[in-house]
Amino acid sequence: MSNASANIYTLGIDIGSTTSKCVLLKDGKRIVAHELIKAGTGTYGPQRILDQLFEKTAVKREEVAYTVVTGYGRVSFQGADCDMSELSCHAKGIYSFDNSVRTIIDIGGQDAKVIQLNDKGQMTNFAMNDKCAAGTGRFLDVMANILILDISELEREYFLSQHPVRISSTCTVFAESEVISQLANGANRADVVAGICNSVASRVASFAKRVGVRETVFMSGGVAQNGGVRRALELELDVPIHYNEFSQMMGAYGAAVYAYEKAMK
Amino acid sequence: MKTAEILEQFHQIASSPSRQKEAFLQAGKKVVLVAPVYTPEEIIHSMGLVPMATWGADIELKLAKKYFPAFICSIVQSIVELGMNGTFDGASAIVVPSLCDSLKVLGENWKYAVPSIPFIPMTYPQNRKPAYALDFVKAGYNRVISDLEKATGAKFEDEKLKKSIEIYNQHNAAMRKLEQVLANHPEITAVQRNDIYKSAGFMLKEDHTKLVNELIDTLEESSTDVQKIKIMTSGILTDCPSLLSILDENGFQIVANDVASESRQYRTDAPAADTGLDSLALKFSAMDNCSVLYDVEKKRVNMIVEQARQYGAKGVLVVLTKFCDPEEFDYPLMKKACEKENLPVLLVEVDRQMTNYEQARTMLEGFKDMLQA
Repeated sequence: MSNASANIYTLGIDIGSTTSKCVLLKDGKRIVAHELIKAGTGTYGPQRILDQLFEKTAVKREEVAYTVVTGYGRVSFQGADCDMSELSCHAKGIYSFDNSVRTIIDIGGQDAKVIQLNDKGQMTNFAMNDKCAAGTGRFLDVMANILILDISELEREYFLSQHPVRISSTCTVFAESEVISQLANGANRADVVAGICNSVASRVASFAKRVGVRETVFMSGGVAQNGGVRRALELELDVPIHYNEFSQMMGAYGAAVYAYEKAMK
Repeated sequence: MKTAEILEQFHQIASSPSRQKEAFLQAGKKVVLVAPVYTPEEIIHSMGLVPMATWGADIELKLAKKYFPAFICSIVQSIVELGMNGTFDGASAIVVPSLCDSLKVLGENWKYAVPSIPFIPMTYPQNRKPAYALDFVKAGYNRVISDLEKATGAKFEDEKLKKSIEIYNQHNAAMRKLEQVLANHPEITAVQRNDIYKSAGFMLKEDHTKLVNELIDTLEESSTDVQKIKIMTSGILTDCPSLLSILDENGFQIVANDVASESRQYRTDAPAADTGLDSLALKFSAMDNCSVLYDVEKKRVNMIVEQARQYGAKGVLVVLTKFCDPEEFDYPLMKKACEKENLPVLLVEVDRQMTNYEQARTMLEGFKDMLQA
């Protein structure tokens, strides 16, 4: 990077169906600040998250050279220089983070995506779920609600399971009644949770195989935080699934990297 | 006329089929509805009747649900919905071919759902080439003729059919030329392009040919600096304005298509023969490269790759009508063949009841980034 490009701040905003995320980058590499709020498109989330971000950093809003917005709420968001699809932003963010990644599994609040990258980090293929919530974060929310568990408790329960039950992977509504039936028949809660995680993994693995799975496989999106689903996916795909605590921010991070590239043009 | 004026005419006609129908009826003509695909319109035309295409509409299904399960082609369901809600009132009959399971169900349900408009079946054979298949097809045509005579009082004459075949062959030629011309005119949007194709179903073919030829002439006299991302489309139907607008917003240009409601029906002309019916039967026999036309070798797959290459398409957009078995069977083969030639493929599922295309938007934006990389 030339000296002329020093102190360029760019902002990436990812407005999902259930959460809003943003990342402030300096010179396209260093993360100055990031923020996540559990309110997605159509709520106060997108605006409040920016207020929160700039309260926590010395960088002023007017110092941001370029802003890219992504995610389900990108089209209706006012205040960005441009919007980009979350497919491209996740690909950009994750490859910038780890250039050995060739397959991305992103499971968000209402959709799931599998993205294949080439050696240059370019997207060469992808697949998304259809309109059904099966295989998405929403599916896990519904199931956790039935089990009177916080979503964060699903991972612990998964690893306690000895004999996972079988839960449908094709439809959230059918799966919900299956879970209730299993509980009514006295199934162990941990085994039901394992069945739920396996169901998500099975659904996502089916279109991961369609796209083609090449290592390194990285998981992003909110569901990546659930170690049960990660482990279930490893067993389904027979590959290690890489993840880090910043996984949920990868779309916003990629948007900020794109913003930097656009600012430098 | 200028290009914009011709395009506006196509738009007016494509967006108001009911107005077209009323105009024909007020002019004293009888209208016969033509369900997809490969319905022998030439016969209807030759009898002095007006064939009007129906591929259904993007509407909420209410009445038709009485006759269909949720998991069946929404084109077929919406045709029955339009019949039941009175949109087709005044039509003298509907001709429905038998080329897929959903169309077979359409005809049978129509008889009960819309008894005021007679259902006329056109039964096609699976095998198209042998002599017995030609006899079978001609028997199907004779059934259509006999039912049309009964429903409308019009009379069939083979000499008139020959004249109508000529008109339809000229229209086919104009539409084939149009596809080539449009490939060099990215300034024509996907929405405008759809108006041209869609209006063909709501006009007499001789009138549509005239307007298409006028458009071709004006386009050939003009040039443009506009540059877009060239893609090929494939599927049964790609007429949804929301989806087409997303293509336009993202700078895509459809340079070629393998769409049943578009170029598939214009590929094959009826050859000269002793009788008009022989000529029509030979046309059906010569047809190919379509998911609803039986072909054990699936030559269609390679045709798509070749056509995409010929027109310089960077990728293929498959618009899959939900629950369309024939298209679903072909898709894996098509995808494999395209990927073998490094031709990216994007599958977008649609149906007549969709109101939100945001997921399709995300996929198309991703596809654009992929093709531009």
